[in-house]
Amino acid sequence: MKERLKTEFLGRVFNSPLVLPAGIMGISAASLQAVSRSGAGLVTTKSLTLKPRTGHPGPVTEPFEGGLLNAMGLCNPGVAEGLQEARDYLSQADSGQGLIISLFGTSPEEFSGLARRCGDLENTFLELNLSCPNVFDEFGTPLAASAPRVAEIIRSVKTATELPVIAKLSPNVTDILPVARAAEEAGADALCLINTLGPGLAIDITTSRPVLSNRYGGLSGGCVKPVALRLVHLVSRTVAIPVIGMGGVSTWEDAVEMIIAGARLVGLGTAVMDRGMEVFTEVNSGLAAFLENRNYRGIEEIPLLEI
Amino acid sequence: MNRRVTLPIGRITEETEDVRTFTFYHSLDARPGQFIMATDFKEGEKPFSLSDSREGEFSFTVKRVGDFTRRLFTRRTGDFISIRGAFGSSFFMSPRRALLIGGGYGTPPLLFLARALTARGLPVKMINAARTAGDLIMAPYFQDLGIDYCETTDDGSRGFRGTAVDAVRHLKDQGGGAYDYVYAAGPELMMYHLRPLLEEGDYQFLFERYMKCAVGLCGSCAVDGSGIRICREGPALDKAQVALLTEFGSYHRDSAGRKISYKTNKPLIMEDE
Repeated sequence: MKERLKTEFLGRVFNSPLVLPAGIMGISAASLQAVSRSGAGLVTTKSLTLKPRTGHPGPVTEPFEGGLLNAMGLCNPGVAEGLQEARDYLSQADSGQGLIISLFGTSPEEFSGLARRCGDLENTFLELNLSCPNVFDEFGTPLAASAPRVAEIIRSVKTATELPVIAKLSPNVTDILPVARAAEEAGADALCLINTLGPGLAIDITTSRPVLSNRYGGLSGGCVKPVALRLVHLVSRTVAIPVIGMGGVSTWEDAVEMIIAGARLVGLGTAVMDRGMEVFTEVNSGLAAFLENRNYRGIEEIPLLEI
Repeated sequence: MNRRVTLPIGRITEETEDVRTFTFYHSLDARPGQFIMATDFKEGEKPFSLSDSREGEFSFTVKRVGDFTRRLFTRRTGDFISIRGAFGSSFFMSPRRALLIGGGYGTPPLLFLARALTARGLPVKMINAARTAGDLIMAPYFQDLGIDYCETTDDGSRGFRGTAVDAVRHLKDQGGGAYDYVYAAGPELMMYHLRPLLEEGDYQFLFERYMKCAVGLCGSCAVDGSGIRICREGPALDKAQVALLTEFGSYHRDSAGRKISYKTNKPLIMEDE
């Protein structure tokens, strides 16, 4: 791995600033290891819930020009089996490869209970999925819509674990800044944004039916990048904690843009659909070449956005 | 990007009481071994291997096994089904003498392959295996191709008596048979037991895993050992890829991602709460 790509995040140094976001490539150790081999500095598990969930029936994804609509419905094998996969992953990871375990709950108690289950893991970050847009029928408006709820959950998780806590925020709010500030004040160690945008709707014109079984799905891919850049920019200059920026990144130029907007780490998810798992290798080499050409020792020397 | 097409069912062929072939009059860019995702926008979207694809039409063959396929069996010609694909890897068109081994409902994709191989003038031997005579499918189509075709049933009710594995062992005992490359599709345990018999040669097996997105994103069909995605690098895996598959013949994952044992059909890891 190229020296210039090494990136510090919450006191550890990772091989690359690139992150696999939650929900891409699932949960299995083998799958996450394949992504690490491709060059991701950190990988995030699919969100784990207390009990196994089969998720929504298909169709759960619908690609379109410029992006992807998806409503998986938080399918996962449950925290018990999920943590076994996490341990398998960690047993083979090198020190420059990080693991983020994503957790999904519906209350402070459920989140802190899940966090406690992860207590014995080392070299791991916990990410709180406060922003899934695709389980509205079951759980109502995502928690990330309410700054006080977000603060309450983070405080509860912080008392339950020593592990660093990342809050995953939603772009689907009128003003993201009060939520970001509330998360920071409640003790979040980092923020991750954006979760999918919308949700949106795709229609089958032959049958006049929604394509997705959940009717609506979150938007990701190239079309959301401008929204992600703006929110990462706004949030990163408002809070002091690091921001993991994601949304529509698929090339090294996109990754540089996200870093200029203020991201410490950069997520690459939907790009795997069009460009394969090799996308991490490709973006890493583009990024490394850019740093070398500009004579930057690392991504932290890239000048931030001037407005 | 493989765009979704919503098409009227063009033709329904009853293969057996529980197996039907659905044909659509539409040109699909597809190769043998690949699959499509089909939905009726009611509930669920399922992968099906193509049993044929040619200029102006394609077909997939369905076995009635659950709610989705039961509903599909109530559909008539002209009813709409929405399709996306074709997806995944395809069988190599090996320029050699091919042995095809199909077990039960694994046979339809091999019909597509047999047609492609014979169209190239390549010699094909096909072993069609099933539990009992009534479960043997696609036989007339293979026979029409004029290939070296034989059948085997576990109970001996038609053809050779024994499993597909027994038939291949028998073939080897008879002097090896005239083939250089093996393609197999069927129950995973059939392929698992075939593998040791085929090690001196080269082969491709067709795999099945729970699929959701079919575009290589969700990780549902990623297999242990390599993280290979059955929807993308598979479903046709070659000898080297099969060698990496640590879960081969042992377990698969369900729609939640739990490991399910092939032996017991139950989760390997029980919930601890």
